[in-house]
Amino acid sequence: MFFLHNLERRVTLHPSYFGRNMHELVTTKLVKDVEGTCAGDYYIIAIMDTFDVSEGRILPGSGLAEFTVGYRAVVWRPFKGEVIDAITQTVNPHGFFAQAGPLRLFVSSHLMPDEIQYDASATPAQFTNNADIVIEQGTHVRVKIIGLRTEVGEMWAIGSINGDFLGYVAPNHALSRAALLIMLLLQLSAGVGSRQIAMALQLWAKT
Amino acid sequence: MASSAPFQFAGDSDSDDDNFNPAPADNSDDENDAQATHRAAGKTNRRASSPVADNDQNDDDEEEERPSKSASKRPRDADEEDENGADEEEEEVDAGRNGYDEEDDEEEEEDDDDDDDVQHRHRRKRRKDHRAAFFDIEAEVEDEDEAEDEEKDGEEIEDFIDNAHPDDIAESGHLDDDRRHRELDRRREIEASMDAEKQAEILRARYGKRAPARGYGEMAVVPKRLLLPSVDDPGIWAVRCKEGKERDVVFSIMRRIEERSNTKDEVPITAAFERGGPNSVMKGYIYVEARRQNDIMIALDGVLDVYPRTKMILVELKDMPDLLRVTKTPNLEPGAWVRLKKPAKHAGDLAQVLDVTENGLEARVRFIPRLDYGVRDDTSSTDGKRKRPGMPGPRPPQRLFSEVEARKRHPRYIQGNPQTNTWTYMGDDFENGFQVKDIKIQQLEVKDVNPTLEEVTRFASGSEDGTENLDLKALAASLKDSNTNVAYVPGDVIEVYEGEQRGVVGKAVNVQGDIVTLRVTEGDLAGQTIEVPNKGLRKCFLAGDHVKVIGGSRFRDEVGMVVKIVDDRVTLLTDQTNTEITVFSKDLREASDIGGQGSIGQYSLLDLVQLDPTTVGCIVKVDRESMVVLDQNGDTKQVMPSQIANKLPKRRTAVAADRSGSEIRLDDVVREYGGQQRQGKIIHIHRSFIFLHSNATTENAGVFVTRAGNVSTIAAKGGRATNPNSGPDLSAMNPALKRNPAGNNNMQPPKTFGRDRALGHTVSIRRGGYKALVGIVKDTTDTHARVELHGKNKIVTVPKGDLIYKDKVTGKTIDIYSRSGRGGFGGGGRGGFGGSGDRSGGSRTPMGAGGGERTPAWGSSKSSARTPAWGRGETSGSRTPAWGDGSRTANPYEGSRTAYGDGNRTAYGGATSYGGGSRTPAWSSSAKTPAHDGFGHGSKTPAYGAGGSDPWGSKTPAYGGVSAPTPGDSGADSWGYTPGASGGSHAYDAPTPGAGLGAPTPAALNAPTPGAYSAPTPAAISAPTPGAWQGGWGADTAPTPAVGAPTPAASGGYYGAPTPAAYGGAPETPAASGEIRYADDD
Repeated sequence: MFFLHNLERRVTLHPSYFGRNMHELVTTKLVKDVEGTCAGDYYIIAIMDTFDVSEGRILPGSGLAEFTVGYRAVVWRPFKGEVIDAITQTVNPHGFFAQAGPLRLFVSSHLMPDEIQYDASATPAQFTNNADIVIEQGTHVRVKIIGLRTEVGEMWAIGSINGDFLGYVAPNHALSRAALLIMLLLQLSAGVGSRQIAMALQLWAKT
Repeated sequence: MASSAPFQFAGDSDSDDDNFNPAPADNSDDENDAQATHRAAGKTNRRASSPVADNDQNDDDEEEERPSKSASKRPRDADEEDENGADEEEEEVDAGRNGYDEEDDEEEEEDDDDDDDVQHRHRRKRRKDHRAAFFDIEAEVEDEDEAEDEEKDGEEIEDFIDNAHPDDIAESGHLDDDRRHRELDRRREIEASMDAEKQAEILRARYGKRAPARGYGEMAVVPKRLLLPSVDDPGIWAVRCKEGKERDVVFSIMRRIEERSNTKDEVPITAAFERGGPNSVMKGYIYVEARRQNDIMIALDGVLDVYPRTKMILVELKDMPDLLRVTKTPNLEPGAWVRLKKPAKHAGDLAQVLDVTENGLEARVRFIPRLDYGVRDDTSSTDGKRKRPGMPGPRPPQRLFSEVEARKRHPRYIQGNPQTNTWTYMGDDFENGFQVKDIKIQQLEVKDVNPTLEEVTRFASGSEDGTENLDLKALAASLKDSNTNVAYVPGDVIEVYEGEQRGVVGKAVNVQGDIVTLRVTEGDLAGQTIEVPNKGLRKCFLAGDHVKVIGGSRFRDEVGMVVKIVDDRVTLLTDQTNTEITVFSKDLREASDIGGQGSIGQYSLLDLVQLDPTTVGCIVKVDRESMVVLDQNGDTKQVMPSQIANKLPKRRTAVAADRSGSEIRLDDVVREYGGQQRQGKIIHIHRSFIFLHSNATTENAGVFVTRAGNVSTIAAKGGRATNPNSGPDLSAMNPALKRNPAGNNNMQPPKTFGRDRALGHTVSIRRGGYKALVGIVKDTTDTHARVELHGKNKIVTVPKGDLIYKDKVTGKTIDIYSRSGRGGFGGGGRGGFGGSGDRSGGSRTPMGAGGGERTPAWGSSKSSARTPAWGRGETSGSRTPAWGDGSRTANPYEGSRTAYGDGNRTAYGGATSYGGGSRTPAWSSSAKTPAHDGFGHGSKTPAYGAGGSDPWGSKTPAYGGVSAPTPGDSGADSWGYTPGASGGSHAYDAPTPGAGLGAPTPAALNAPTPGAYSAPTPAAISAPTPGAWQGGWGADTAPTPAVGAPTPAASGGYYGAPTPAAYGGAPETPAASGEIRYADDD
């Protein structure tokens, strides 16, 4: 879940930068230091603005100046039970790894619907129910987080696709909707396999 | 009498057959007659019969006929059901009776009738006698009743067929007879159609329960207490026997019973059993049940290994049930690990079960022998006494059997087959180096074996081809068997899975002994605190929980997240390796820490370790006692910590070149060029190998190894390669300020070239073994000096930093470098020139003086930094011409000679005089002029003058500076003393000025020579002090020659200061002060 969060950080500046544009530099440094990092149990996605840049204080010994900067940042904190979209990274017999932005997820094969099985013979390897669902590298999946682990500078999650509306997600929503529609139509008219339809749709999307 | 009939019948196993023997017609006729006669009376009688009698009879029936009931009745049930419709009617009337029994009753009666018809009336009579007291009358009645029933049956059927007149009853008997034939046929048919198994079952039902169940047969559940033995039951005696032979004894008793059954001397005991076993307290006894103790004597007489004549113990009544309590005996399977208890030599050793004998008494185990091959035999035989068997002295270490060793001392006692590697030595068997032995199970420790990996590996490595064939399964089983009690700690979430409170989930708040106090968190009991016994509890986890493996599992210390839970088996995904493992929930606890396992001692996951001098490896898996290492060749091997030579510290600065030659460092992301094109982050660089870590694979914890030349950079850490201009590092020096070299150009400290000034100095050593010793520096490198010690005839090498430079005369501590820093500059430049000449001329003095300072001069030719200074129009525009000056130019390069010839010498001369005059008074008194003269003579002065530049002027003093040392040098000889020591200066003072004054030229000429030749070394040493001064007054003197020019004094004053600054930066102040002072003097 995304939040707008007011945070504070101490930024140091080398004396050689002391000058008129110090605040600008401090902000630059803040952005450089902080954006895209994991702060315990959330990620700092972007810094909106800074406010309240304190007076610099020279640190004894090094001569660096330390500023205390308040800033407003967009942060993302994954929660247990949250449903997020992710992209499959690697697939192995135990499950697959997926990436949701900065967060790495593992979906164990135990946490998939029973009909989804590992297929090692496919290239690349995939999880499939031998019908419309194929989860391979690059597939979009919708995952429910069931466990989170935080380490220094890193977070880790275990997800499940065992549930309604979880799992395989067509790469494009509009497309998927169209696909659904067309599929329905097609299925009504002729009993064509959905995978073929999906392939046809992909072709269609490319053209 | 019905009641007696079934009794008898029940006792008669032949009844079945008899039952269906067709009854003679006449008999039945009789009966039927009787029935006919007494029908009405019988009915009434029966009804009137006292309930007591009734019940009694009932009980009797139950009791006696029960065993045969079902058997005798069931097959016919179908028939009788319809036949006996009337009976049932009648029974309904009798409320006190159980329908079923009644039916049986009837049936029996009926059968009985048949029986009776066929056989012994007398028996019946006898029975009647028995019960005469009760049944006298009723018996008659019953008989009639029975007859009546019988008759009724017949009647019924008759009714069914044709309602015969009572007079036709005789005929109905015939009918009845026919019916029975039919029935028999049908029955046989049924029996024939039943399979053997069912028949067996029937037979079992029929006879199996005959003896027991007296009194309780009909009850579904018999309270246990009623089954307990009573005083009326036979007693049980415990009889001593040979330990371990319990079962054998019982078997032989059994044999004996079989042998003697149906003979006149049947074994008079009712039961015998044993409760032996390796750990049983009842071992060494068998238990015999008999009526009398004497029976046991008889029964056990002559049985081996049992001692009935020793005191037998009568087991108390209350202890009897305990004797039969069932305890589960551990199951030994081949491959399992055990520990030996005996022989004592091997006590505690690990052994592996190869086989278990049929009777489960012995196991064939293999273990590592402890043989000394007779090495200690001698010692034991010397004292003549037989040594006590057991363990004499320390037991030999565990070593695999060696044929060679055995042959050495006991060639006779060994035999075997080298092909199969099986040997017999001293009566023991050895296979593949292991000792193999049949050992009684009670001499084996079967539980809580807990074999360590080390022990187990010794077994594994014993196979011939050297391959490790660890049976991990057996190992795991052995480990699991160790009944480490589940320890619950407060805070554990616990689920009750057994017992009354099944399904309750709560958090443990207190654990005492094996009682756990739970605060229930879910369900109806939520909020309550309950106490439950340890048993039937298990820890409760949820998918996604972060847990750590504790306890006996081989995954101990793994940490991971729960992905699946089935009963008490929890599957988790480990943090370290991203693999799934399944463990029991009792072996888990909530993990508070992250990382968890991953280290044995100092070695932790992903460390680089040295395996042998040529092999390094990266730890990719850490187990409890071993780890898996991926070596530089890409092979993985399992190693113990002891096999690792050492750990290689991570070198942050390690650099390698990728295939395109770009540098790669730790944490860079690279991809293999060929092959699998694996991509990973560099975790180690070792020579040309790089170890990479990737998240894409879980194999080897994602680590793989490749050659540095085989990868191409994808992303360098911090965007070094890919994004070099991402912005300045604001916590480091602003590069923009570094870009302008002009600003701090002059600040750079000069480099030292040429001869080290320390040479020849008297020094004392500050630390180390030669601490406080004094010596003379003979030779130097950049960092070290070779010092010839005064104290002993020895030259030692000492770091320069450990030297204290001493004035060789005064013994005072001096700082040759810092002084020269200034003085050097002062004179440096010039001195340099002059010095260079001197040096070439053989005089070190100027060199010494010039030491640091000359460098700039040299630098002017070499170092760019200097060059601009020189070249700078603004700083020394005037100087330029100076350079232009022929003699000058020549100096730095090759014309130094010329310079020397003239200027330098002259300078020296001047210097000499200065040296003499270096003492302030000298200066003040003698005036600079001579000096200048000297310079002037040297024609350098004009040159300087010509240069006219104040900086030059300032340099000029440098000459002075240079010259200053000169006296010092000379001082080393004859001169040296004078200038060096202020005291002696006078003597020399005179000459100097004299020289200076009187005849500059000669002075100049004279001076150089000594200066040049005499004691170059000391020059360097003694020079400093004056040098410092020189700088100062040099500045003064400089202007002086320039006097001719308008600038002089002022400029001198003014520039005097700058000059040193220009050279050394730091010495500015002293120079200034020096200048001031001299200015004053002037």
